[in-house]
Amino acid sequence: MKNSVKSNKLDYLLAAPTLIWLTIFFLVPYLIVLIYGFLTPDIFDVKFEFNLDAYRQLLDGTYFRPFLLSVRLAITTTLLCILIAYPVAYLIARASDKVKNTLLILIIIPFWTNLIIRIFSWRIFLSYNGVMNNILMRIGLISQPLEIMRTDLAVIMVMVYVYLPYMILPLYSVLEKLDFTLLQAAMDLGATEVKAFFKITLPLSLEGIFAGVLLVFIPSLGTYLIPQLVGDQRSLYVGQVITYKIKNIPRNWPMASALSFGLLVLVAFFLLLGYILLRKSKVRGVV
Amino acid sequence: MEEIRIVNVSKDFDGFMAVDGVNLTIKPGELFSFLGPSGCGKTTLLRMIAGFETPLNGKIFIGDQDIVELPPYKRPVNTIFQNYSLFPHMTVWDNVAFGLKVRKTPLPEIKERVSEMLNLVKMDDQHSKYPDQISGGQKQRVAIARALINNPKVLLLDEPLAALDLKLRQHMLIELMNIHDAVGITFIYVTHDQSEAMSISDRVAVMNRGKIVQEGPPDDIYERPSSIFSAYFIGETNLITGEVIGIEDEYVQLKCPMGNGEFFEIDSTFHFRPEIGSQITVSLRPEKIAISRHKPKVADDMNVVKGVIEDILYLGSHTQYIVTVGKNNFRVFDQHKRVYFDDTALDWEEEVWLFWHDTDSWLIDELPPEDRMPAEGKSHLSKIKKQSSVSGEQI
Repeated sequence: MKNSVKSNKLDYLLAAPTLIWLTIFFLVPYLIVLIYGFLTPDIFDVKFEFNLDAYRQLLDGTYFRPFLLSVRLAITTTLLCILIAYPVAYLIARASDKVKNTLLILIIIPFWTNLIIRIFSWRIFLSYNGVMNNILMRIGLISQPLEIMRTDLAVIMVMVYVYLPYMILPLYSVLEKLDFTLLQAAMDLGATEVKAFFKITLPLSLEGIFAGVLLVFIPSLGTYLIPQLVGDQRSLYVGQVITYKIKNIPRNWPMASALSFGLLVLVAFFLLLGYILLRKSKVRGVV
Repeated sequence: MEEIRIVNVSKDFDGFMAVDGVNLTIKPGELFSFLGPSGCGKTTLLRMIAGFETPLNGKIFIGDQDIVELPPYKRPVNTIFQNYSLFPHMTVWDNVAFGLKVRKTPLPEIKERVSEMLNLVKMDDQHSKYPDQISGGQKQRVAIARALINNPKVLLLDEPLAALDLKLRQHMLIELMNIHDAVGITFIYVTHDQSEAMSISDRVAVMNRGKIVQEGPPDDIYERPSSIFSAYFIGETNLITGEVIGIEDEYVQLKCPMGNGEFFEIDSTFHFRPEIGSQITVSLRPEKIAISRHKPKVADDMNVVKGVIEDILYLGSHTQYIVTVGKNNFRVFDQHKRVYFDDTALDWEEEVWLFWHDTDSWLIDELPPEDRMPAEGKSHLSKIKKQSSVSGEQI
């Protein structure tokens, strides 16, 4: 980690294709998005006239609610993912090689099915006359079908389902490298299992948690598809608002651009916060 | 201070008996070693004392308390792990303070005792470094400080020097003895390295296949091995098998086949009375044998055997000769007490006389396993010149 390898010309040469790719297809489009935010909306397109309306609306609180909903959803999803993924990742990391591979494959299998199809299965599962309500009523747990579809709860359930593997895998990779004799050492020195977990395992897996948070939190913040398909259409998330600004006529490209930029700033803010927290915890490399 | 009693302790892993009915008493303040090849059960036994493994049956007492049911964190023992297992995310200071912190010791006391401990292991100037910034020997010291700060009744050391290079190992060995003297608690030391065990221990238990083969002070085990295994595992030895043909006062007379139809006769003192006509083994350490090209004046208490030098290994402090007597190989160490740079040195294929006092050998009531039998059996062509002497490999 701390090894500073001398960079030479060959390194730059090898990195060049990636750098060029990222510049053309990532940086340049983003600059275009940024510029659009300062133009004037037209019915279908934009007029190339400088205009600050979009950013004014972004900052005056008009879109406060979608942002709040998105941040709340992203935080809830991320926290739930950590809580559910940690024990699973721990279990896989400590399993025998054979069991380990089977479990990992089971986690990866859902990726083989298209996301939209998986969300639609959730709709069937959660709907008023759906599988879940049928089962719960059959076994007598409820007497009336639950109305979960098209609620925030449904959104969170599906979000956690979709993003869970992105939390499990990085957590698994740090826990797998964790030297479990360190836990024995901690217990030998007087720590109970619980203390050993909080003093040794958790600090040494913070990097995995951080990686998982990146993979879950960032896409959750801009999520569109899941709230669109299973969520309450009265509460719109930022991702949905951006889509409507482009889809509904009269179109408002500048507003969509400004909202996207707001999302970017928000992500950058949380990233920085997470990074500072990680640094502050003084955790050094696991290996 | 309390003694440790291991009473009939066994442990199995999927039906394999890793530790098989071990009984042992370790005296208070002793530096006691478990010595044996890998897989002999020594580490498993240690881990049962530490609390990381639960015995299949049996009891482990520290003083009057049976600790078998206690979790590791409630046992009055601490462990030095094979790879130290220092916490990588904590400084040296935090590592050492760990045990006191989890027991909620007040901070001023922690500070005082950590600095005391770091002082003991001479690491006071390194306290703010992380484990990946210090050397192997320093990690070792931190591990010792981290364990001893908890005032354990027993310190368990699991191959603590295995990861260090030779010079450092010798240095740390002395340091460990000094620390043992300074703290005065019982140390239980696990190693597969016989020289390590011999030099550091008050007493050693030699283990093989889950059982204790022999226990006693190092010199006792070395000079008076109770079995072929301990004779072979500790140091080097010549195992001579023969038939008991007579017992006279404190001597037993043996008739030993040379493997080519001939026999030589030797005497040995004995500590048990073998039956006349029975087959028995004599363990004779290579440094006890003298070697000469001249036939020695035969004294009554000397065994004299004639052989041919097959191999010479110059080892600096001594030379090791392999001498064939018939089809038996004798391993002989000749100490270099003086410097000779002339041509009086013994040469390959030279006829020599081997002689030793009959009090210097030791009877073992056991025969070596087939593959360690001297003479006959598997033979291979000797590499040396014309006289293709055939020899079976001896231990």
